[in-house]
Amino acid sequence: MKAWQRNGILLAALLAFGAIRLPLEKSLGDELRKDGLVPPPLEIGTRDKIGQTSSAVALGGLRTLVATFLNLRAFSFFQEQRWEDVADTFEMIVDLAPRTRYYWETGSWHSAYNAASYYINNSSMPSLRRKEAWRAAIYRGRAFLERGIRNNPGDWSLLSTLGFMLTDANKFPAFRDPDATFITAADTYQKAVDTGNAPAFVNRAQFYALARAKGRETEALALARALYADPKNRLPTLQALLLVLEAHENPALDTAKLAVELFGTPERALEALSGHWQRTRERFPVDGVASALGALEQTLAVPPEKSIFNKPLQVPSGPDQWFSK
Amino acid sequence: MAEPTPAVEIKGLVKDFKTSFRRQMLRAVDDVSIRIMPGEVYGLIGPNGSGKSTTMKALLGLVAPTSGSCAIFGKDSLKVDSRNDVGFLPENPYFYKHLSGAETLRFYGKLCGLKGKHLDDRVSELLALVDLENARDRRLGGYSKGMLQRIGLAQAMIQEPRLVILDEPTAGVDPVGSRQIRDLILKLRERGITVFLCSHLLEQVQEVCDHVGIIFRGKMVKEGRLEDLIAIEDQTEIIIKDASPELISQITALVGNSTTASLVRTGKPRTTLERLFLRETTQGKDS
Amino acid sequence: MSSITEPIARGSHFNRILVIAGHAFTQLVRMKVFYFLAVFAVIAIASNFFDLPQHEGPESIGMNVLRSIKSWSLGTMTLFSVVLSIVATALLLPKDVEDRTLYTILAKPVPRFDYLAGKLLGVLILVFVSLAMMDVLMTVVLQIRSSMILTQQIAMAQAQGWPQDAIESLRAETAQHGPNWALQGAVFAVFLRASIMASLALLISTFSTSTLFTTIISFLIYFIGHFQADARDAYLQAGQAGEGVFARMTALVFSLALPDFQNFNVIDAVIEGQAMPLMVLVKLSLIGLYYALFFTIASWFVFAEKEF
Repeated sequence: MKAWQRNGILLAALLAFGAIRLPLEKSLGDELRKDGLVPPPLEIGTRDKIGQTSSAVALGGLRTLVATFLNLRAFSFFQEQRWEDVADTFEMIVDLAPRTRYYWETGSWHSAYNAASYYINNSSMPSLRRKEAWRAAIYRGRAFLERGIRNNPGDWSLLSTLGFMLTDANKFPAFRDPDATFITAADTYQKAVDTGNAPAFVNRAQFYALARAKGRETEALALARALYADPKNRLPTLQALLLVLEAHENPALDTAKLAVELFGTPERALEALSGHWQRTRERFPVDGVASALGALEQTLAVPPEKSIFNKPLQVPSGPDQWFSK
Repeated sequence: MAEPTPAVEIKGLVKDFKTSFRRQMLRAVDDVSIRIMPGEVYGLIGPNGSGKSTTMKALLGLVAPTSGSCAIFGKDSLKVDSRNDVGFLPENPYFYKHLSGAETLRFYGKLCGLKGKHLDDRVSELLALVDLENARDRRLGGYSKGMLQRIGLAQAMIQEPRLVILDEPTAGVDPVGSRQIRDLILKLRERGITVFLCSHLLEQVQEVCDHVGIIFRGKMVKEGRLEDLIAIEDQTEIIIKDASPELISQITALVGNSTTASLVRTGKPRTTLERLFLRETTQGKDS
Repeated sequence: MSSITEPIARGSHFNRILVIAGHAFTQLVRMKVFYFLAVFAVIAIASNFFDLPQHEGPESIGMNVLRSIKSWSLGTMTLFSVVLSIVATALLLPKDVEDRTLYTILAKPVPRFDYLAGKLLGVLILVFVSLAMMDVLMTVVLQIRSSMILTQQIAMAQAQGWPQDAIESLRAETAQHGPNWALQGAVFAVFLRASIMASLALLISTFSTSTLFTTIISFLIYFIGHFQADARDAYLQAGQAGEGVFARMTALVFSLALPDFQNFNVIDAVIEGQAMPLMVLVKLSLIGLYYALFFTIASWFVFAEKEF
């Protein structure tokens, strides 16, 4: 056999071999991508930013290793409060390892919590700019988390983290319409519950979000009743909100009586409802709470100077206070 | 009784190599035919680059002939089973340095399908034959040139082949080692093993071979029985010890009286330098 | 001298391949390859210290360090197995030719296929044994660390008054990041990828003239193999949008001729805590076997005709 004949046969065999395996590999690849077992190709931008060597390492099948390394770098940026660098680094990290919840959660937390608090306290900027920076940091953290959710459908924890952010008293004032925000949060928690993996507290968190959305009281009441049916869910916040929603549904309701039924004794009812009354920053509804508290104080003969109505409420704290000067 | 199958049968072997440039063909072996019958010791001699190694490689199937054919005991060299009955010691072999002498032999033995006690016995026997029992467990990295050549010879013998091919078996070996190898070849001949060796050291070939072929620039120039090739038919040599001058003159006179014979030369035979060297060094070793 | 006239049992192909494989394995071991395991041990233990201060609740305690141990360990395994597969294969064949030990082997009744398959198998056994040892080390480190973390998490969760179901969910999630079957599958996938590279290096070394050439080309193909599929998809899609025929054909030839390692990125997913279905591993194994067989047979095709 001549050399060119041999090489020709070899080349033909190589191509034929490729033609047989190509569809098999493609179908496996599609299947893996569908199940999220193979990350999408690296962004060109990420390849540029992480540098030639790291790109080569990442292309050599070691993406998570580069991500681990960048995570260390991000942490030192965080310690130096270089928020832009932190955010950029996390953009690269999630491009390398899009299936790691930790990176999405940490990246969004750095922005929406750490960077945002930094702008609240940074006195070197004028208040208007601080406010804008604060708001932008929260928006960015939210958007980052939402991207994480799109990349990891079925991850209850990311959904729950987003719900937590949207209902956080220090965060929701950043969004223009609180009611819409609470509804979004409730929907997000619902999706977390729908994954089937979420622990029970997520279900309650969904209810706490829904209870705060104006116009959704009927729905919230139905959910409250369903949750209350399970004794494990009978926590003071849920019980107090159940009372509030019942009172909203039926303004003529004897809320003091219901409170005793719910909490067992007038003392415990008074304590729990007092707590609820004072939590003003979280914007929980308070229908019927005042009348129940009044009646319970009467029943228990609480002297007027000790009445809950004479105690201070939570000190208001929010953008209006932080950025007033 | 029919003539036995030749141990080696090379018929009209031609081998061309492509040179790197201009597609010129270089003819390394040009129409060489060799037939070696079982039990013969055949020496192929010729200068470096005359085609000796290529002929041997073709016989072992390491290169494919451009035309012609090679067979070992009637089996085509291009087939694997032709190599059941042959052992080969390449020129300047390097075996695996990380193996000891015994491990080397075991490795090649296993490649030939030997195993168990039979293999162990064979390894010990061969180590004794080539006088390397003391170096049995030493790694080949620490072997001398002569020892390497001897372990190579043992390796070639591992599966008790009927034919042994040796390519320059004494190249680069000192005279003592060289003689050990020569003695080994003679031992093989005593055992009836066919030996095919090539060398450019004529003296060595002369000492061990009974058949010789001379190859030059790829062509077989002369071939035949050694004695036939080198005997000077019309001369006779007498070597006498302690001869008195009277005896010498008597013999000279006798020759002078003959009508047909004439005296060519008288004198003292000289030992070869090799023999002198060997005598001195072996004496030195014994004392 | 009776044995001389008897036909000598040649032994089976399988036995001969094993003999050559065993020899190649010994040869590499005596080149002190296993010293690398000490380096690996240092890396596996050092990766324990890449632990960052955490935010929020018990769910994030130490999870990062588990991921760090996995990604450092599997990263080192990948690096080691690929380098070893390529370099060892690229080294063994030319070394035998250069030292003329190949003559002595092929002068025995050894078919050339047996020789090639034996060398390849020897390298693969070495890679497998080393990966297995590294795997054991990683699993032990991971086991110790994840049980420590779990104890911490549960203590903290209980201190925060988490309900039992939440704690159970946390435990299940931590287990996903600890040593598990998916991780063993990922190590096996590392081995499969290394075997493809070894057989490819074998093919290249049958017609290359130097170890250096084989090594460089093999590494190049290794890297291209990881984004070959992207290039293929991009080209094919661009082709529909009016890309030139030439570009499309080039892309096609590239994707047909070069191996595709994209699917092996499933290893990354396992490091990130995903489960790897058994079927995926089976399919990967079949693909790996397909490559290894093809490359070995192709190597033999070239090697069978080779003259020395």
